[in-house]
Amino acid sequence: MANEKKKRWVMVIDPSRCIDCKACDVACKRENSLVLEGRDSYRNWISSKGIEGTYPRLKQKFEPSQCQHCSNTPCEHVCPTRATYKTRDGIVRVDYKRCILCKTCITACPYDARFEQHQFKAIDKCTFCEHRIYEGKLPACVDTCPTKVRVFGDLNDPQSEVSKLLAARHWRVLKPEVGTRPNLYYIA
Amino acid sequence: MNHTAFKERIVFTPGGKLWGVLAGFLLILGLVGLFNYLIHGVEVYNVHRQVPWGIQISTYVFFVVSSTGLCLVSSLGHVFGIKSFEVIGKRAIAMAIFTILAGFAVIATEIGHPLRMLVYNIISPNLHAAIWWMGTLYGIYLVCILIEFWFMMRGDHRFAGYLGLAGFIAGVAAHSNLGAVFGFLDARPWWHGPFLPIYFILSAAVTGCAIVLLLFAHRYYREKMPRNVEETMHAIGKLFCLLLGILIFFEIWKVLTSIYGAPPGKYEAMMALVAGPLSTSFWLFEVLLGMLIPFALILFTKARSFSINVLAAASAIVGIFFMRYNLVVAGQLVPMRPDVHRVGPDGLLSYFPSPTEIGIVLGGIGLCLLMYIAANLLFNLDDEEHPSEVESLQTNSCS
Repeated sequence: MANEKKKRWVMVIDPSRCIDCKACDVACKRENSLVLEGRDSYRNWISSKGIEGTYPRLKQKFEPSQCQHCSNTPCEHVCPTRATYKTRDGIVRVDYKRCILCKTCITACPYDARFEQHQFKAIDKCTFCEHRIYEGKLPACVDTCPTKVRVFGDLNDPQSEVSKLLAARHWRVLKPEVGTRPNLYYIA
Repeated sequence: MNHTAFKERIVFTPGGKLWGVLAGFLLILGLVGLFNYLIHGVEVYNVHRQVPWGIQISTYVFFVVSSTGLCLVSSLGHVFGIKSFEVIGKRAIAMAIFTILAGFAVIATEIGHPLRMLVYNIISPNLHAAIWWMGTLYGIYLVCILIEFWFMMRGDHRFAGYLGLAGFIAGVAAHSNLGAVFGFLDARPWWHGPFLPIYFILSAAVTGCAIVLLLFAHRYYREKMPRNVEETMHAIGKLFCLLLGILIFFEIWKVLTSIYGAPPGKYEAMMALVAGPLSTSFWLFEVLLGMLIPFALILFTKARSFSINVLAAASAIVGIFFMRYNLVVAGQLVPMRPDVHRVGPDGLLSYFPSPTEIGIVLGGIGLCLLMYIAANLLFNLDDEEHPSEVESLQTNSCS
């Protein structure tokens, strides 16, 4: 295990394929047993990016998103009790037991990816379904997506689908100007 | 000194009783709010996913700004050796203790796990986090000023001075770290940068002067102020005016740099204050009551009139309370995602405190006032080397 090569888990999103069915949102809540509490408790979401084109050739644009599992992690820096931490493979996690609910990480996150989860009495966010990926499964949102918007894998493996996609296609990240070096890539 | 006479003067006068009743009433409101929170949870607060910090955080900031300010102003006397300022020492340090305790009480109702914080701050510290430094340094600061107060009450000015210096350093470090809690946040351009840690120290000094004036107005409401105290208050009034002038200068440049060229994030937050949902709170309270009125009052009277100085201080304290609210809330009104359901037609998020949040804030103010009233009962907060004229008269008549 110690000699095993470090992974770099990333997600590549092709927003042009998104049909706003919200299956990712439902799958996430189901997989992670999240209780529905008002309109603030969600780990992933789909933003509407307006309509492009002219009538009758119109296209509604969507942008699915979630925690970016940033390499330069503002939420980890500001957490006073190290409740937010990065795993060996770069996944940003919250240790519920250490979280004091000061909510500084919410204000530090440029992506609005964090929220107060009353069920756990702590701050919550996407975990890339860490419990699934080391069993060889995909994160629930990736698995369920009917149009294969999301591709997940190890960027340190040149043969992975994410590596090939990012090598072949133009891509962008959200808010590059804040310097967080996100691990969610969007096909441009 | 004649303790009975002292107590009668300070506490059992009609004015004293009125303050006690008012503080008690505010504390009851706070307790009602607290019970509502304990029973129903955070649902009774109006903070939400996009605006997670509300009026309790801004009130905490207000209280710790006050505490640091009182420590700074009182240190002019017993740390930096300006004799005339020694007269305010005990009273200012006592109030510094009560304001920070009230601040801790208010923030304990905002942080989800205040007890867990005490444990994990020690066993799992994150030295990269400004909030860890702020909390830890404020803890050290509180211990320093508590011991300083103890030495002051014993009349040990040498050790009180050492502890005062330690408290001064811890207070400045803690308070600038509080500025850094906001200033380190890259995601919030309006807060980000070195401005807030510096601004917080300046505005602490302004608040400290205002509270000292109010404390002595209360102390000498029914009796003639001794000459040396009067002179000190005159000096504090002038210092207050100078610091207000500098604060206005800071504020002007903060507004201009946030608006000029419409820098993204800064511009929207500033416009929320200047011409948006917080404009009343900004122009009426922060600018007029908080800065311009007190500055003009003292400037035009040259700080000669104690009553005018006190009026200016009262106006400033009300304004400064809103100043803190504006600072905390405006920084969060710019959404991180523009399509969130809470974003209004103006492109901004919204927040207004719930009755429970307001109740808890009023309770914090009540708690602070009650502790101060109790301290007047238990201790002699007058400077012993400069007893009040009444006491001098009593001593003379006894002899």
